[in-house]
Amino acid sequence: MNILKNMEQSLSDIWHVFSLEMRRIFTDSGVILVFFVAGLVYPFLFNLIYQQETVLNVPVAIVDDAQCDESKRFARKLDATPEMEVAYRCSTMAEAESLMRQRRINGIIYFPRDYGERLARLEQATVAIYSDMSSFLYYKSVLTGSNMVMLDEMKQIQFKRYSMKGITGERAAELVSPVPYDDVKLFMPGGGFTSFLIPALLILVIHQTLFFGIGMLGGTAREDKLEIELIPEHLRGRSVHRVIIGRALAYYVVYAGIVAIDLFLVPYLFRLPQVGRVSDMLLFLQPFMFAAIFFAMTFASLLKHRESGILTMVFFSIILLFLSGMAWPRSNIPVVWRVLSYLFPSTHGIQGFIRISTLGATLQEVRVEYIGLCLQTVFYFITATWAQRYINRYRPIEERMAERRDHIMQRLADRRTARQSMNRTSVLKK
Amino acid sequence: MFRPFAYSFRRELRRIAKHPSHMIILTLGIIFSYVFFLTLMDEGQPENLPIGVVDMDGSYLSRRLCHELDATQGISIKAVYSSHREAREAMQRQEIYAFVEIPHGTYADLLDFKTPHLSMYINNAYLLAGSLSWKTLLTMSNLASGAVQREILRKQGFDEERIMGLIQPIVVDTHQIGNPMANYPAYLLTTILPGILALLVLLMSIYAVGVELKDQTSREWIAACQGDVTAAVLGKLTPYTLWFSFLAIVGNIVLFVFFRFPIEGPFWVLQLAIVGVVVAMQAIGVFLVGVLPVMRDAISIGAFYGILGFSLSGFTYPVTHMGPALQALCNFFPLRHYYMIYVHSAMFNNTLSLYWPHVCAMVAFLLLPAITHRRLSRAYNLMNYPLK
Repeated sequence: MNILKNMEQSLSDIWHVFSLEMRRIFTDSGVILVFFVAGLVYPFLFNLIYQQETVLNVPVAIVDDAQCDESKRFARKLDATPEMEVAYRCSTMAEAESLMRQRRINGIIYFPRDYGERLARLEQATVAIYSDMSSFLYYKSVLTGSNMVMLDEMKQIQFKRYSMKGITGERAAELVSPVPYDDVKLFMPGGGFTSFLIPALLILVIHQTLFFGIGMLGGTAREDKLEIELIPEHLRGRSVHRVIIGRALAYYVVYAGIVAIDLFLVPYLFRLPQVGRVSDMLLFLQPFMFAAIFFAMTFASLLKHRESGILTMVFFSIILLFLSGMAWPRSNIPVVWRVLSYLFPSTHGIQGFIRISTLGATLQEVRVEYIGLCLQTVFYFITATWAQRYINRYRPIEERMAERRDHIMQRLADRRTARQSMNRTSVLKK
Repeated sequence: MFRPFAYSFRRELRRIAKHPSHMIILTLGIIFSYVFFLTLMDEGQPENLPIGVVDMDGSYLSRRLCHELDATQGISIKAVYSSHREAREAMQRQEIYAFVEIPHGTYADLLDFKTPHLSMYINNAYLLAGSLSWKTLLTMSNLASGAVQREILRKQGFDEERIMGLIQPIVVDTHQIGNPMANYPAYLLTTILPGILALLVLLMSIYAVGVELKDQTSREWIAACQGDVTAAVLGKLTPYTLWFSFLAIVGNIVLFVFFRFPIEGPFWVLQLAIVGVVVAMQAIGVFLVGVLPVMRDAISIGAFYGILGFSLSGFTYPVTHMGPALQALCNFFPLRHYYMIYVHSAMFNNTLSLYWPHVCAMVAFLLLPAITHRRLSRAYNLMNYPLK
């Protein structure tokens, strides 16, 4: 009987805190800005920015001092690659260099005068490639395109040379490529920048907007001495986990909608590769969301001011992206930073989500991340409760009410002084 | 003009001394970012990326091939798998970025003058790791082909020079302009670190200019500055200008002097440009508070704008390949112009005649506060906006 009553009380407390927190979320323009504007606009903006997937048709210039059949064929093939486009044909290197300086081209292909002669003499001929390194995506395109053409040209020349030596047909083919290979690119055959980066950014947007929104709510509560409303008085500082659960559920309900849009509607609209099972993704996202929520609540209880979280931690978003192993391979991250990365739910969240969504892994195959997120959920739930209990220690209601009253009176007094000073200034001006 | 400025300057120094927590956290944040990124990428290019081998041949040749692959700088063999399925699963667990499949009877085929067939599988979901391991594997397999050809030709009595002409008739000589070693951190960090600094300067400026509204002290402050809002704001921001410019200049010295990131043009251009970014970000901060004289909203909008700067500066994904509307939008981010000045001056050693538009744009940001000057003055004096 007692247990039942206790449960009923517990549920009613949770419901009380939940509805209160919901009201706080929807009446705070700053939080709405973070949750709904940033949380929903970023995914669309990132998709628009990285719309083109790959950097194709990079403009290059050809400087052909050789003017032979071979060099002309090479240049034609370059133009035909998807990666490059021969935008200019220059007669001198100086001319091409000036185009590169003006940033009209991102690469120069130079055939020295003796290119044709050396090939005719059956010697090695050199092609020089000058690549603009201002973006590695230009470099990648120029390098990939010219290497592909070079390999193709090389085979053609080799066949010719072998046939001159009396080796023809299948025997020549065996010599030209004694160990043929094929390269299969799995999961994202196009190698697109969008499909690679966006899923990570989507998870990061959810993680970070939760962090800043919850931080803002926590800071405001602290600043305005709102705990009197937020913590049911009859608890007297005990069972504060009900407060934590109630608030977390409010964030969870709001984010269920945002996650649905960001992680399912946006990839559908922008045709991002999603090969994993939806049920697996949904199951995986549950511990991720709770871990992110409790993580944010733990840190929010440290903030004394509303703006502190956003002011001091925004830059960390960039660091989190690198810690997740997307931009820099995870195998090459120094141990210290790898250990640090396990503190943040975003690391496991990004890794696991990408593996399910892009690589088609099952929940079983991301169990390390899944268990990690579950552990983080438990850990940050405990720290959030702990912070609530000890940092914002319980004090009798009279004391808190007096404090709240003083706070409001202080603000009013400030306003009055300020107004008086205005009157003084206007008097001075007269 | 000067007295209100000096008063406001001193008043801000006192404020910082009284509540130093934000400045300390932001300074530590900047230092942390530099340490983090420079230690994260101290290899230059990712080395020894883990790959796998499915060796169904199990011959002398396949073991030698494994050995050669392992010896390259780019990749290292993490495991040898017995089936394709096993390797694919390891790839899905992200233990390896690629694997090579050596089919049964490869060595025997080679001895019989038949052509065996190798397969390489690359995990393309991780752009940098995938393309680097692919590049290394491709080079290796071409080298292996060359080695086999050389053996065969030697046996047929060709001399070395003619063999080279036969197996590699074309040599590609690659020049990487502006970053001769294709150093990844030199490419990424020269913009990302100034970007983080710029983001923090923006937020700190919004806070400094907006907190007077929040604390309802703006009227008193402006009154003490004899009603000169321009001088008051300038005086208030100058301590931050000095401190963050100092950090920015030291940051660039760390990158280009201690870490010897390649720089072709004069160093002072870059240092001037980064001070330009600091001042431009402050101007944008004042502008945003003028538009939205509620500090919390101004800070949220500032953070939103600042984060976009990383994508829209175009150092990862080139602006030339974005849509036309976005190409125009890019111009509204000082980081974009800093990056362009960096490319023109530090990478190509161009003269000002080629990049003056970016310098002009940087200066144009300083005019932004003039647009909202009236609105901000009114907000400061009337304090008629919500407080938080």
